[in-house]
Amino acid sequence: MNTLSYSRREWLARAGGGFGLLALSSMLEAASNPFAPKVPMQVGGKAKSIIWIFANGGPSQVDTWDYKPELKKRDGKTLDGFDPKTGFFPGSVGPLMASPFEFKQHGQSGTWCSDLFPKTAMHVDKMCFIHSCWTGSNNHSPALFKMNTGETRMGYPCVGSWVNYGLGSESDSLPSFVVMSDPMNRGLPKGSAANWGAGFLPSIYQGTWLKPKGAPIDNLAVPASLTPQRQRAQLDLLAKLNRSALAESPIESELNARIESFELAYRMQTAAPEAFDVKGEPEHIQKLYGLNEKHCGHFAAQCLTARRMVERGVRFIQIYSGGMENQQSWDGHNDIAGNHRGFANESDQPVAALIADLEQRGLLDQTLIIWGGEFGRLPISQKSAKPGRDHNPHAFTVWMCGGGVKGGHHHGESDEIGFKAAIDKVSVHDLHATILAAAGLDHERLTFKFQGLDQKLTGVENPKVVKQVFA
Amino acid sequence: MMSVMRFLFFILSTSALALPADHAQRMERGLKSFQQDVAGILKENCLRCHGGERVKSDFDMATREDLLRGGSHGSVVVPFDAKGSALVQQINHAKEPHMPDDKPKLSAEVIAKITAWIDDGAPYAEPLVAGKKPKRDASVVTDADRQWWSFQPLMKINAKSIDELLLKNAKGMSFNPPADKATLVRRLHLDLTGLPPDSSEQTDLSAPTDRLLASPRYGERWARHWLDVARFAESTGFEQDYDRPFAFHFRDFVIKALNSDMPYDQFVKWQLAGDEYEPQNPLALAATGFLGAGVFPSQITANEVERTRYDAMDDMLSTTSSAMLGLTVGCARCHDHKFDPFPTRDYYAMLSTFTTTTRMNVDVLPNGKVTSAKTTMNAKTNTPAVPGATRMMICGEGYDPIVMHTQGGPFFDKTYVLKRGSPDMKDGEATQSFLQVLSKPGDAKRWQWQPPKDAKTSGRRRSLSNWITDVDQGAGALLARVIVNRLWQHHFGRGLVPTVNDFGKTGTASSQPELLDWLAGQLIANGWKLKPIHKLILSSQAWKQSSLRDAIKEAVDPDNGLFLRFVPQRLEAEAIRDCMLAISGLLDETMFGAGTRDENSKRRSIYFNIKRSQLIGSMVAFDVPEPLVSQGSRPTTTVAPQALILMNSPQARQWAEGLAKRIQPAGDVPKQIAMAYRICFNREPKPDELATGAEYLKTGASLADYCQVVLGLNELIYVN
Repeated sequence: MNTLSYSRREWLARAGGGFGLLALSSMLEAASNPFAPKVPMQVGGKAKSIIWIFANGGPSQVDTWDYKPELKKRDGKTLDGFDPKTGFFPGSVGPLMASPFEFKQHGQSGTWCSDLFPKTAMHVDKMCFIHSCWTGSNNHSPALFKMNTGETRMGYPCVGSWVNYGLGSESDSLPSFVVMSDPMNRGLPKGSAANWGAGFLPSIYQGTWLKPKGAPIDNLAVPASLTPQRQRAQLDLLAKLNRSALAESPIESELNARIESFELAYRMQTAAPEAFDVKGEPEHIQKLYGLNEKHCGHFAAQCLTARRMVERGVRFIQIYSGGMENQQSWDGHNDIAGNHRGFANESDQPVAALIADLEQRGLLDQTLIIWGGEFGRLPISQKSAKPGRDHNPHAFTVWMCGGGVKGGHHHGESDEIGFKAAIDKVSVHDLHATILAAAGLDHERLTFKFQGLDQKLTGVENPKVVKQVFA
Repeated sequence: MMSVMRFLFFILSTSALALPADHAQRMERGLKSFQQDVAGILKENCLRCHGGERVKSDFDMATREDLLRGGSHGSVVVPFDAKGSALVQQINHAKEPHMPDDKPKLSAEVIAKITAWIDDGAPYAEPLVAGKKPKRDASVVTDADRQWWSFQPLMKINAKSIDELLLKNAKGMSFNPPADKATLVRRLHLDLTGLPPDSSEQTDLSAPTDRLLASPRYGERWARHWLDVARFAESTGFEQDYDRPFAFHFRDFVIKALNSDMPYDQFVKWQLAGDEYEPQNPLALAATGFLGAGVFPSQITANEVERTRYDAMDDMLSTTSSAMLGLTVGCARCHDHKFDPFPTRDYYAMLSTFTTTTRMNVDVLPNGKVTSAKTTMNAKTNTPAVPGATRMMICGEGYDPIVMHTQGGPFFDKTYVLKRGSPDMKDGEATQSFLQVLSKPGDAKRWQWQPPKDAKTSGRRRSLSNWITDVDQGAGALLARVIVNRLWQHHFGRGLVPTVNDFGKTGTASSQPELLDWLAGQLIANGWKLKPIHKLILSSQAWKQSSLRDAIKEAVDPDNGLFLRFVPQRLEAEAIRDCMLAISGLLDETMFGAGTRDENSKRRSIYFNIKRSQLIGSMVAFDVPEPLVSQGSRPTTTVAPQALILMNSPQARQWAEGLAKRIQPAGDVPKQIAMAYRICFNREPKPDELATGAEYLKTGASLADYCQVVLGLNELIYVN
């Protein structure tokens, strides 16, 4: 057998660990098999899978998880020295505005939560809140790119791709990085596929977008002009003819991989639809998620799919809550009360169910759930028929749950009105470093050579893992 | 000129320091403190991250020179001014990031010692790391920098052939024997046209080489390679990803230029400044689509207008330097290049070339006149008012820019040098010049082109094109090296320089430097025509070698940098699909014009419309890269979605049925099988292939079922 003069990088470029990962361990020594789940690069990370619930459009921190009594006191007062270019609409700057929602304390930790998430709030003692996040753009798509790839510009690999590149896959019949977007015809997040692109990493590490309507993955069904039996016979003939030409080739292993890829594809035809089959779940589980509830059934199906994917070894799952912008997502420029109430209502029960369900299956400790948007919203109102809030890059809250994070913990603070991150500020690169650490990856060492540089997800500005969030 | 500027800068910066009158005494005191305490304190608390094990934030404290130079965040220590030193603020936790990082705050006593030492001028008795020398000043380009091989003039090589030069480095080995004729004919067709040979063709190689180079299919195949390098797509990217419905003219330009064997220097000049060379020539205008093919946001807030404009110009400059010069000039946007001698000042001097360059839609009227189309970025179906006019997107100056969704204008009148890439930190206006390391010392004005009085353009892009093609004084030698290397890469599967987009210090140097320079010299001597270089390569013994395995060669030269065997290559996505269409008899050879995103189209894949958010699924599955930055080479992955396409897609079934229809009339099953092998692989089936196929067809499978299997064979998508 040709013992592979390829370097590891070349191997990655040739086969990698993404969608359609090849199970070649029988053919290659374990040490040189790049497709196998990789050994995490540092001790401590517990998360084997990550579920990222992306509250698209920028949810308001002061109306959700960042309680600011001072804001109530100063309701209606002008915010002195405010730069009108901070948000998107310099001409619609209103005064400070108290949250329209009631806040109460929950759990042993006494965590303050608005009444938007009554069910999720029951899990606060498992959740870890970072209140001091900030980002570099006040505009959706650069901020989305920043949150997903670490750069405001288009074209860099996203967190999911980096995790995939770093950890490989544990599933041999499913894509290892999937993305679910809004199924209610409200559009894709701005910048669409660039948010789950692999950038300069080999394209196999890109996210597989599951189409919200119809068959979620292309070409999974045997065409009507064939039958499964006839296809099986085709694949047997294909393998036989391909194998007979194999021995004399200098790229034997690559050709062998291609033979295997047909078998894997054949397995996927049954494995993938089975993984998506949420209707096959027992009734109490369907009920827990609210699968048949009108107000949250679509999001319940996505959260339940996420849990089924985790069980099947899928590494990285991203679910977008909300569609593109304005009233189609958490982008509450108008009527912040109605906007946020609507999207919270869609997602509260499914998210709470996901936490509870993973926990009862013993999977929560090895699954990191992340909830957050691309930026926050301003404590002042945006003038409109019903008051809204404009974009705020200076402060927002991200929470994490499971995957070894410290439950009931609050890291960092925004200022007294929730306008700017004030104490223990956490940049997007810090957040990324922390997510990688949760998965056992050292952001300093997770590099890929491109344009002559060892590129990293977390850039060059000395990002820090927020160690305090880990138990 | 430059030295005067440097001198002035030096004076200014020294006077700004305002040395205290008693500085000599203070330095002496500081030196003692350094020896007694401070050196130890710095070694214990700071050095590990800043000059010892690593250099975080590009701040290195090992020598005084580097300490005072500061890091990527700017100045850290100002001698004689502890209060004004970021370091003192950071160790006092008055400024973020607090230092030492992730460690408890230093004691008040230690902080006081460091503070006093800085007030005493921060002198060193010796480097903190024994023997360490200060880093070079990356803002100055020296003669030593010019010694790097790719910045040197072309070596004069006396040689008669490629083979002669390869054998010189063959370490006592020799070429593999030539592949058999049928293999070579198939290799030649796939290589030059991306389509399989007509199954009747078994003749001598030299005639088909000329014929295939003259075939329009050649331009369609090789244009695709350039489109990767040019990050070509037909939409804006970002949030709305609006279509650019008139951008396909650039793709057509590349095909036409290659088919007509346009000299490569002209090919480059037109892409940078076609509108300045031949303002009335539609082809020259279309060529400038190169500069405009990058992404651009469709929603720009007031405080993003300026940064977005710098991003857009950076896209033009970075793509130009990667594609044409194989240099990562874009790295110098925020700091002097870490490895190559590209100071940030050079970056902005070059960037200013594009100060007033924007995307514009123009109408070329039937009478030859060119007018502004006055369109907005989301214009979809608008057509020229004048019948018979052609609307095209160009990228240059003088017509109405495409109106963007922005709270600002299309461009700014001036380009500034930016510190750390930030428009908030301007450091004087940038005036056009080019990379110093690729400019023979002397007056940079020699490349300057003064446009005629009635011209609509600034002349700056044509000036850039003068420099980039100037073999003797400018970047022309490198330009020639980079393109002959790309040609070699697509004939052999790897370049002589394997890092085809990086000829700098982080790239991998050529395994065959003499051959590279000889080929570059041949290109220039042949008037920059590419077809003679193709012929040189295709007629070499090296290219004709078989892919037979050789254990010794695999051991001595695993990467085949010596080119003593042929390594089979998997076809690219476009060629795979084009071959399927050709084999099934379905190929539609219509050339040029607007493309489609319909996978059922029967035209060649280069005519797929490329929308960044809706890339063609079957293309992406076979490794078509995202068209965001210049891509020199594609990865070759083997993944299940590729198999799913061949198993289940409607197209695969159509191809199978098309091939079945072609072989049906051949006669009995053995004859049908034989014909399928001739069409697909340019050879007769082996006895066991015949027998296996016939046996399968006896089980009741249809001829189309069988053809689908043949189309899935490895041999079909590999060039042997």
